[in-house]
Amino acid sequence: MELADRAVGLLLSSISLSIFTYYTFWVIILPFVDSDHFIHKYFLPQDYAILVPVFSGVTLLSLLSVFIGMVMLKSKKKKA
Amino acid sequence: MKHIVKILSLLLAVSAFWIGLLQAAIIHPGYNTWLLPIYFVVSLGCYGLLMVGLGLMQFPTCPQEALLLQHDIAEAKDFFKHKGVDVGSD
Repeated sequence: MELADRAVGLLLSSISLSIFTYYTFWVIILPFVDSDHFIHKYFLPQDYAILVPVFSGVTLLSLLSVFIGMVMLKSKKKKA
Repeated sequence: MKHIVKILSLLLAVSAFWIGLLQAAIIHPGYNTWLLPIYFVVSLGCYGLLMVGLGLMQFPTCPQEALLLQHDIAEAKDFFKHKGVDVGSD
């Protein structure tokens, strides 16, 4: 089904583009904007700009290692 | 396994270089020194995801070749059934 593939591809690229623009705005543009501009309402405080990626990166790495560990254990059990 | 070791050692070298640069320079310490490297890592991840999405969208499916392949498979199965080989998976 190429339509399903196209839809998933479109979804992935739109997610990545939106994350990129939001994060770029947050990190690079917002520090140069006056602090009583209305746009600051839509963005969390800047400390979260570090916490959120680090936290999600650590979660992703731990999930990956758990998955790899489970696969290794399963293959070892099948051999023995 | 060697690839992982190579990539990890490269990462370690880059971070050591960055921390050395931080110690030597006159940037005020605190949270904000981590902001730029994390921004680069996030943008790298975003770029990878974007490439995957674009590749998914442009993947060619070749319907005529798929049909020809099905014909070839049926022909091969027929040939082997007449020779007596067990091909049953239908």
